[in-house]
Amino acid sequence: MKRVLLLALRDLRLEVRDRSGLLSVLAFFAVMLFIMALALGPEEGPLRRAAPGVLWVALAFGSTLLSTRAFALEVEEGTLDDLLLTPGGKEWIYFGKLLFQMLLLLPLALLSLFMAAGLFYLPLERLLSLFLTLALGVLGYASVATFYAGLLARLKGREVLLPLLLFSLVVPVVLASVRATMGLVEGLPLGEVSPWWQLLLVFDVVYLTASALLFPLVMEG
Amino acid sequence: MLKAAQPDRPDALTWVFLGLGLLLLPAGLYLALSAPPDVNQGYLARIMYLHVPGAWLGYLAFFVTFLYSLLYLFRQDPRYDRVALASAEIGLVFMGLALVTGMLWARPTWGVYWTWEPRLTTTAILFAVYVGYFLLRGAIEDPELRRKAAAAVGILGFINVPISYMSVKWWRSLHQTQSIDLTTGKIHMDPAMLQALLFNLFVFTLLYLGFVRFRAFLAALEARKEEV
Repeated sequence: MKRVLLLALRDLRLEVRDRSGLLSVLAFFAVMLFIMALALGPEEGPLRRAAPGVLWVALAFGSTLLSTRAFALEVEEGTLDDLLLTPGGKEWIYFGKLLFQMLLLLPLALLSLFMAAGLFYLPLERLLSLFLTLALGVLGYASVATFYAGLLARLKGREVLLPLLLFSLVVPVVLASVRATMGLVEGLPLGEVSPWWQLLLVFDVVYLTASALLFPLVMEG
Repeated sequence: MLKAAQPDRPDALTWVFLGLGLLLLPAGLYLALSAPPDVNQGYLARIMYLHVPGAWLGYLAFFVTFLYSLLYLFRQDPRYDRVALASAEIGLVFMGLALVTGMLWARPTWGVYWTWEPRLTTTAILFAVYVGYFLLRGAIEDPELRRKAAAAVGILGFINVPISYMSVKWWRSLHQTQSIDLTTGKIHMDPAMLQALLFNLFVFTLLYLGFVRFRAFLAALEARKEEV
């Protein structure tokens, strides 16, 4: 547990110190939201209806950008093998990288929610529920993205392969998140939104356990 | 599934499956074409005898891939990986068949070839997952890493199969619910049609077994060539 935290915090410090990576992801979010708003606008109705979809697609792209970064530094510096050589199980590497991803993605997701709210006329009255949806959905993305990023870390064409593999797998998460967000924005009662949260939770648990169990098997050797 | 590590030719069982499957295929076709027309859909319903076995074998093949991917990760024996590869490839073909026959059926019934309906969408996504499986295999040079990565995709990708199977129930959609419901064991179908369908399912499964064993044998040959 301590190692997980240490690894995540170390990565976070490196990432914040570097800044260029974070800023480019943030800029990517902004540009993407702008272009989508421009393409779909300018009427208020269609924009609001498209907003949840746009937000989650932007988050999906953003999370792949970030997940390649999770292991890129380790490979560049040749420290991945050192990590793998530490005694004991290897799950903690996965959880550490996942925690790092979540620590980066959650604030970014919140920020892009505000951006989307501004550009797409989204009402933000139920911020807490929206944030819960964000957290559940982002965890679903990050669990699979981190796993694949580790798997493909040593490969040349990983920037292209990762989204290809990832997007087809996280579609259920996208679907459930978009539906939940849409329900919240349209003002549906919580009772109608919560089935989507349950579905998200199920996916998160399944993906998380499957990835954590597979990770040591795949990384060894 | 393959006993010898370096087989010279496919074993007898492979030929039995292939031969029986090919022999019985015309009989299956005959049954399918002579089955009574459906009350609502008429002769159009006969596409089912191709569509259902295709989808069933797609699911089965992906399940076998899942199983052998797991086996590979735990035992690290390349033979398991070859069966997983063979099964994924054949599953992709049968899934493609199910998608195409489904579209041909949808055009006269629903008026469109494709609609964004949960069953269709989840099946298309499933298809994409296994296309990704082969893209990944093609991208990795190192044989051991390739096998591991493929196994990971084979296992994680399988999560989409139950979603696809259950989608017609969960979302109560346009697509018909299962005629033979595996979760409750109920069957909603005319006996004559059911017989023809079951026979076709059986023939296609035989063919699948033959194909998988043959393809795994070919993969073994390829692996040997790669080593030299």
